[in-house]
Amino acid sequence: MRDPRHPDPVELERDPSLQRRWDRRRFIQGAAAGTVLVAVGGALYRLGGDELTRKARAEDRGDGRKRLPPGQRVIERFRNMGGDEGPGDVKSFRLRVHGAVRSPYELDYAALLKLPQTEQTADVHCVTGWSCLGSLFKGVRVQVLADKAGVKGDVRHVIFEAHHGYTTNVPFREAIAPSVMVTYRMNGKPFAIEHGAPVRGLVPDLYFWKSAKWLTGIRFVVDDEPGYWEVRGYHNHADPWKEERYG
Amino acid sequence: MSDASEGSLATLIRKRWRGWLRAFHRDLGYLAVGLTVIYAVSGLAINHIADWDPNFTTYERERTIAPIPADVPDDAAIAQARAALGVGPPRSTYRAGDELHLEYDDRKLVVYGDSGQVTEQGREARFFLRVANWLHYNRGKQAWTYVADVYAFLLLYLACSGLFMIKGKKGFLYRGVILVGLGAAVPIAYVVWSGGPSAANQAARTAGEPAPAPTAAPGS
Repeated sequence: MRDPRHPDPVELERDPSLQRRWDRRRFIQGAAAGTVLVAVGGALYRLGGDELTRKARAEDRGDGRKRLPPGQRVIERFRNMGGDEGPGDVKSFRLRVHGAVRSPYELDYAALLKLPQTEQTADVHCVTGWSCLGSLFKGVRVQVLADKAGVKGDVRHVIFEAHHGYTTNVPFREAIAPSVMVTYRMNGKPFAIEHGAPVRGLVPDLYFWKSAKWLTGIRFVVDDEPGYWEVRGYHNHADPWKEERYG
Repeated sequence: MSDASEGSLATLIRKRWRGWLRAFHRDLGYLAVGLTVIYAVSGLAINHIADWDPNFTTYERERTIAPIPADVPDDAAIAQARAALGVGPPRSTYRAGDELHLEYDDRKLVVYGDSGQVTEQGREARFFLRVANWLHYNRGKQAWTYVADVYAFLLLYLACSGLFMIKGKKGFLYRGVILVGLGAAVPIAYVVWSGGPSAANQAARTAGEPAPAPTAAPGS
C-alpha cells in the first residue's frame, strides 16, 4: 500500500502545482531537520566538552564562595572581547597616578618594573559568561601605587583609565586589596595586544571589564564616576558571585 | 478636481496599492542587500565573540635562546637576540629589567634575558569581518550614524510592507497573523523567562546585599 505522506509519482508528473507544493514541503522539512541537528549538536558539543566547568563548580575558594561564580563556564584561554586598542608597545607606555593624592606621578615601563613586584595566581570572570582559572600574573599592586602617591583620606573610589577614554570604576577599599594590581605578564609571557599590552589592570574579584586593558592611568577620587560600560547598562559594582552583570 | 477624477484616483489607489508596495519592497530590498549582509554576518561573528576572535587570527610561539645577561649593553643584546632568532631589524626596541622587546609591524618578540625564553606574538586581520565589525559597531562614528539610521528605517519599511504585500489566503490574514504572533512571542517569552534586565539586581537584593546607589554619568 502507498505511504499517504508521499504523493503518487504519476500524480506529481501530471500536476505541476502538486509538484511545487511537494518540493516546498520537502524543503521546509529539510530546513527544520537541519536546524534541529545544528542545535542539538551544538548543545551536545558544549555539554560534552565542559569537564573543566564541572570540576570548578565543585571547588571552594576558602572564603565561603564557590570557585566558579554562577552562570560561568570555564575556558582554557582568554577570549578577545574587543575594544579600542592602545599602541601596545612598551616604549610609549606611561602610567599616570593622580587625582586626590599628595604626590601625583607618572611611570614609564622601566620605572614600573623597578617598583616592588608581586606574582599571584588569580581567576578571572568575564561578564559574557566565561571564566579562566589559575593564571599566574606578575605586576605591581595598586596599594603600592597608592602609597607612593599618598592618597588623601577622603578617597572612596579608584578610576582605571585606558587609551581612547575608556574608564572603569572600583571602590577604593576593593582596589587596594592584595589581589588587585597592574599587570604586564601572564603565565610568564607578555600580554598580546588584544589582551591589553603592555600593561592592564587586574581586579580578579569583579567581572573582567573592571580589569582595564591598555592602561594609562590610575585616578583616586572622592565621588564615584561610573565608567564606559557602567554608563552603558552594565552594573556599577560587578560582583560575579552576585551576578551583578547589568545595572 | 472633479468627483469623477477623485473617484478614479481612489479606485486606482485601491487597485494598485499592493502592487506599488511590492515594487517599493523589491527595490528597497535590493538597496538593503549589501548592508544586510554586512550587519548579519558581523552580527553572527560578534554574537559569538566569547568563542572566537571575529577580527583577527592570532598566534603565539615560544622559543628559547641563550640567556642574555643584564650587563650586556643594549645594542649588543639586541644584536645577540636578532642573530639567535634570525630576524631582521625591528621597528623599535626596548629593554627594561630582564625584558628585551623587539617590535615589528605585525608581531613582537619579547626576550627574557635571564632565562633566554622568547615569546613571539602576532596576528593577521580577517579582512572582510574586521571591516564589517567596524561598521557594525559604528566605531567610525560621524557619517556612518546616518547610514545606519537610514538602514534601520529601510528595515522597518521592509518589515511593515511585507505584512501586506500578498493578499488573501497566503497573506497576512492567514498564516501571516500566526507567524507574526510567533515572531513577536519569541522576545516576549525570553524576557519573561529570563526575568529581563533587572533580574540580576533583584537577585543581589534577595541575597541580602543592598543594591548600589543610582549613579550618574561622569561629569553630570
